[in-house]
Amino acid sequence: MNSILVLVKKDFAVVRHNRTVLVISFVIPFMLIYLFGQIFGVNQKDHGPSGIPLGVVNQSADPAAKGLIDALRAEPAFRVVDAANPGDPKSPALREEDLNARIRANDFRFALVIPADVVRTDKIGLHLKIYSNPRNEIETQLVNGILEKTIFSNVPELLGASLEARAREFLGSPSLDRFDSDLAESIARAFGGDPAEIKQRIQDGHFGIGQHGRKGDADPARVKTEDVLDQVFQIDKVQVVGANVKSPQATQLVGGWAMQFLLFAVTGSATGLFRERDQGLFQRLLSSGVRRSDILWSKFIYGICFGLVQLIVLFFAGHVMYGIEIGAELPHLIVVAVFAAAACTAFGMLIASVARSPEAAQGLSTFIILLMSAIGGAWFPVSLMPAFMQQFSKLTLVYWAMEGFSQVLWSHATFLELLPTLGWLALITGLVLAFAMWRFRRGRIFE
Amino acid sequence: MSSPLPLLSARDVVKRYGAMTALAGVSLDIARGEFFGLLGPNGAGKSTFMSLVAGLKRIDGGTLTVDGEGVDAGSDRAQHVLGLVPQHIALYLDLSAEANLRIFGELHGLGGAELAKRVASALDAVQLSDRRSDPVKNFSGGMQRRLNLAAALLHRPKLLLCDEPTVGVDPQSRNAIFELLQQMNRDGLTVIYSTHYMEEATRLCTRIGIIDHGKILAVGSIDELLAQLPFEEEIRFPAGAPTAPLVAELAGRGELSTVDGTHRFRPQAGYPLSAFFAVTERLGLAPRLFASQRPTLEALFLQLTGRNLRET
Repeated sequence: MNSILVLVKKDFAVVRHNRTVLVISFVIPFMLIYLFGQIFGVNQKDHGPSGIPLGVVNQSADPAAKGLIDALRAEPAFRVVDAANPGDPKSPALREEDLNARIRANDFRFALVIPADVVRTDKIGLHLKIYSNPRNEIETQLVNGILEKTIFSNVPELLGASLEARAREFLGSPSLDRFDSDLAESIARAFGGDPAEIKQRIQDGHFGIGQHGRKGDADPARVKTEDVLDQVFQIDKVQVVGANVKSPQATQLVGGWAMQFLLFAVTGSATGLFRERDQGLFQRLLSSGVRRSDILWSKFIYGICFGLVQLIVLFFAGHVMYGIEIGAELPHLIVVAVFAAAACTAFGMLIASVARSPEAAQGLSTFIILLMSAIGGAWFPVSLMPAFMQQFSKLTLVYWAMEGFSQVLWSHATFLELLPTLGWLALITGLVLAFAMWRFRRGRIFE
Repeated sequence: MSSPLPLLSARDVVKRYGAMTALAGVSLDIARGEFFGLLGPNGAGKSTFMSLVAGLKRIDGGTLTVDGEGVDAGSDRAQHVLGLVPQHIALYLDLSAEANLRIFGELHGLGGAELAKRVASALDAVQLSDRRSDPVKNFSGGMQRRLNLAAALLHRPKLLLCDEPTVGVDPQSRNAIFELLQQMNRDGLTVIYSTHYMEEATRLCTRIGIIDHGKILAVGSIDELLAQLPFEEEIRFPAGAPTAPLVAELAGRGELSTVDGTHRFRPQAGYPLSAFFAVTERLGLAPRLFASQRPTLEALFLQLTGRNLRET
């Protein structure tokens, strides 16, 4: 028994000095528990997505339309964009004809148009238009749900106005006015209250119409719903991007996991520098006329080539399993894959340059890869995360790689449209690689 | 020697690691065709000197030339003149013996039929031709050591740096390595061989430099080195109670050390062997207990440093 206790004590003593085990056992799970807790709103009253940019175009003069926009502004899930240049206080309003381009540029993925005929006169009901780029199914369902909840629960005034307009068309204004006066007096007699005030409320459209539920849409491209409620609420839906893509969710699925495991693969390769050092291979290489920079650049180029092959193979697997359409997009996919692989490899070299041992590199890389995959959008849409975390998403190479894959396979972006994303990936690669090279020069990995 | 200029010339070479001085002004000339041994305990500065010659580290002071060219970290010229056999098995263990040699040959600019010829020749020289396609990880330690040596010979260097190349090697492989090195040395290859095994240095080297604490303490052939000792014979006898009175008698008569249960007595100048054996006879000690032999480099190291080579 004493031997067992001694050995148990020994294991605790050993593990205390093994940072990798401690990081993988405690720090990583802690971070992931925190992250998922934030996303799923554990112990929070108001949880859910926040700050999703929503383009809003108001073509209606009806005061209730403004009320609807105010309601959308009050909804924490959305960040309303109703100006052509949001940063400029003198900016003109966003126009419907701008929406396609803005959605393709990913300034926002959802936009609501409140048309001039939002209050319909040809029949009782409302008319709205939603433009979207539903590249992520989870995000799209959430946005649709919250958008429709906001419309139905906050602006029954619009429907009241529609009823008013319809009655005015049938009865004429004088007759309608008399009807409203008679109705207000009858209500005041039966339930109390001021008839003039009641009449005003009727004419403002306050009929006490409550909330409505609504079914999902069958056709993502353009749907005119046909049931009773949908006759009242006519919402035209325009899918700006990816209307012809068969498997939208697969892009996120394959891209996310491919990126995560590419990071693991190239980081493993870069941290192989430690193994080569310990085996004396650097001594042999350097004494053979190979320069230190040759060794580092060879690692970088190998990482890009390996990453390119891994990503393309996995996307082809996605093509076979889930019907991801690569076909004509292959050249652009290769370009994005090269930039993504370069960024991943640079990251791997950074880990190798800052860690002091292979074990430390393994712990550090596991921690950062999982964290970066989570907040970069490899596992779930970035918009599900708390607003403060979303600010960090764009600092991760995973975010920009996912963005690039989505642009290619979902939006069928042109090369010109891809350039900003490629630029960000190149910038991340350059900065990370420069720092890694600086660290390598200062370190003793070659001695 | 084919040229009067030394192949390697070191003048006051200094190397520091932070506050620690690994080489403190090493000066050394190594002629073409020499088999030079660098003998010293672990941490003496042997590997540091090898690294500087191979251009792996920067020199902090002094000059170092190989074949007339200054050596510094990253210089190409000297690196093609020399081959390095590192202390570790510096091979890609998952790859075959042949693939390893092809990689290192290509790094030296070899290719095509010439590379294939040299790879075959190198594998033959280290008796690994029949295992050429096997992954190196499946080799024994001795086979890996032999391949480690072959990889340094592909480009036919003028100077071969062997940094303790037989660590952990079985006697058969050690002999194979020794025979190959001696053959190549006879063919004109200059070899610098670092070791802390006195026997290896004695067997292989035509000239030896004894190094400790970053300084060359003595340089010369075995005879020249041993001539520095103040005695010509070393007498060994077992430690223990029977010889304890003798040990007491020998105080002040020379140096006495004990290694592995054996006393080693090196008489001081003026103390003849006849006087020693007169004492043993007087004490009644049987002559078979005593063995007289020529002193070794170990005795010289003890003389120079006050420490035993194997105990450091």
